[in-house]
Amino acid sequence: MKFALLPVFAAAALWGQSIQSAEESPSWDPAGDLNVNSRYTVESISFLGQHHYKLSSSALEEMHRLIGAKLNTEALNGLAKRIRGELRAHEVTFKLDRGRDPGSVRVLLEVDKGSSSFDLSVPRFAYNSELGWTGIGEASTAIHDNVLTFDLVRDVDTLAERYAGIQARYDRLSMGSDRIRLGFEFDAYHEQYDPGTRLALDNSTLSSSLGAGLYRSRLNFEPSATFVLAKPLTITVGLSFEQLQPELSAARSESANAVVNTLRYHQRWEGSGATKQELDAGYSLRAATRIFGSDLGYTRHTVNVRYGYTHDHQSVEVALVTGIIYGHAPLFERFVLGNSTLLRGWNMYAVDPLGGNRLAYGSVTYGYHIMRVFYDAGSVWNQGQSPEAKQSAGIGISSGLGLFQKGAFLLAVAFPLRQSHMDPVLIAGMNF
Amino acid sequence: MSVSSQDLFVRRISNDIHVVAPRFHFLTGKTLERLHDGALLPFDFQLSIASGTKSNTVARAPERFLVSYDLWQERFSVVRLRDLRKSPLNLSAAAAEAWCVDNVVLPVSALPGANQLWARLEVRSVDQRTSAAPAGDAGISIISLVELFSRPPRPQQDHWSLESAAFHLAELTP
Repeated sequence: MKFALLPVFAAAALWGQSIQSAEESPSWDPAGDLNVNSRYTVESISFLGQHHYKLSSSALEEMHRLIGAKLNTEALNGLAKRIRGELRAHEVTFKLDRGRDPGSVRVLLEVDKGSSSFDLSVPRFAYNSELGWTGIGEASTAIHDNVLTFDLVRDVDTLAERYAGIQARYDRLSMGSDRIRLGFEFDAYHEQYDPGTRLALDNSTLSSSLGAGLYRSRLNFEPSATFVLAKPLTITVGLSFEQLQPELSAARSESANAVVNTLRYHQRWEGSGATKQELDAGYSLRAATRIFGSDLGYTRHTVNVRYGYTHDHQSVEVALVTGIIYGHAPLFERFVLGNSTLLRGWNMYAVDPLGGNRLAYGSVTYGYHIMRVFYDAGSVWNQGQSPEAKQSAGIGISSGLGLFQKGAFLLAVAFPLRQSHMDPVLIAGMNF
Repeated sequence: MSVSSQDLFVRRISNDIHVVAPRFHFLTGKTLERLHDGALLPFDFQLSIASGTKSNTVARAPERFLVSYDLWQERFSVVRLRDLRKSPLNLSAAAAEAWCVDNVVLPVSALPGANQLWARLEVRSVDQRTSAAPAGDAGISIISLVELFSRPPRPQQDHWSLESAAFHLAELTP
C-alpha cells in the first residue's frame, strides 16, 4: 500500500465562508446528521498529540473531502474505521474542538494502539500468466513499539530464481526517538530454477560473471538500523549474512556477507485544486567483502525513481530504474526484466535466463479513472556486452487511487513489442 | 446504579402518563466530557408500569435519545430517535435530562384503572462499539429496544433505575 507521511493534516478550505456569530449559527436539520455540530464546517483534521502516521493516498483524499464540508459524523466514523485498519490500531476515535472562526470545528483523531495487537494479511499477491503466482502471507503482532512479523513466501517473479520459504522479522520502531528504528530479519528459502536458467549455466560465456553456481537453499540474517535524516529522507544501514547451500551436497556452502545501505526519499505535494504530485526515490548499495568473511566479493548499486502527477481523474507516472554490479554476484543479486513490474509482457527467462549485471529501465503509465495504459522499455545485460533495448505496452484497470497503483488491485494485459509474434501476458495482483 | 423511589414522580397530562425525576442526572463525569468533545451519545430509556405487584409489568414505553453538545453555543440538544423529534437547541445539561425523561410517555388507556400501580424508569448508556444500531441509525425498532431492556446491562455500561411510590390512576388529575 502506498503510504504518505502525515505530520499534521492542517487545512483551511474555509475560503468564502462568512464569519458568523454564535447567534447567527447555521441551522441544524436533525433529519440528516443527528449531531448538533453537523451545522458547522470542518476546518481541519489532525491527530492528537502531534503524532506522525503513515496513511494511504486514498485515506488522505478522504480527509481532504471532509475538510471544508459540513461535519458529517457518519463519514468521520468511516474515516476513523479506515485509519484503524491501516494503522492496525486498537481503536481510532475523534474529538471536536472549536475552529478559529465561529461556525467551524476542528476534528482531532485519537489513535489507541493498544498494548498488543495481532494481524493476518496478504501484503502482496501477483499472478503472471507466463511466470505463475507469487504471494506473501503475513502474521504480525505489535507490543508497544515492538513488532514481530512472520511471512510465508512464494516468489517466482522478482528474481532469476524461484524461491519459497519463510521470513521472520523483529522491528523496534523507536529507540528513544522515532527517528531511529532497529530491525532483525531471518530468511530461509528453498530455490528452484527454470530449465532455461540451467541451460544457460552450462554456457560458460553467460555464466562467467556469476559469483556462485546454483544453490538449493539460501539462509539470510540481516540486522539493520534506519535513521530519519530529515523527513522525508531516511537511511538504512545494516549487514546481510547470506549462506548458500549448493545443489550438489558434496560441495561446500558459500557465503555472501554484505554491507547494506539504502537511502530513501519520499515526498507528496498537494497543489491547489485537484492536483497532486508524488516522488519516491531510492539508492541501494550492497557490498559483499571478505572483511565480513564473505566467499563472494561484489558491489551492487541500484537507483530507482518514481514520479507521479495526478489532476482530477487523470494521472501520469514515470518510473526509472538503473543498476550496476561490480564483481561476481550470486544469482539472487542479479537484475531481471520481464516480470509483473518491470518490462511487463516479456518473459524474464526469454530476456535473460540468468539476469544481468547491468540494468537500465523506464516506464510511463497514463491513467484515466480506473483505466491504465503503460509503455515499458529497458535492457538488462552483462559487462562487456552491448545492451539490447526491449519494449512492451499494456492496458488494464486499477482500483487504487494511489499514484503508483499500490494498495490496489491491478488487472492488465501486456504485450512485448517485437517484430515476430506478439503473445499477450495477463497480469493480476495487489500491492506490487 | 439505582435511585430511590422518592426520585420518580408520575403525572398525567391529558391522556398520557409522564414522569418527572428532578434529582436524576446522567449527563455527568466522562459522559459529559465526551459530549464536550463533540460526541453524539445515545441513551436508551424505558418507562414501565407494574400493576398489583411490582413484578407484573403491564405497559412499557422504550425510547432512544441522542444527545449532543453545541461547541459554539455551549448548549445541549436532544433528538428522540423514534420520530426525530428534537428538543430546543439551547438546553442546559439539567434541561436536556429533563427533556428526555418528559418525552418517554405511556397512554393512560394502557393502564388498568383499579389496581395499585408502580412506575419504573430505566436508563442505559449505549456502547457505540457494541451497539447493533449505530447512533445515527434511525431504524432501530421498539422491539429491539424492548429486547435490549430484557437483558441485564453489561458491567461497563452506565445504567440507572428509578421507581415511583405506589399510586392509583384515579389519583392522577388530568
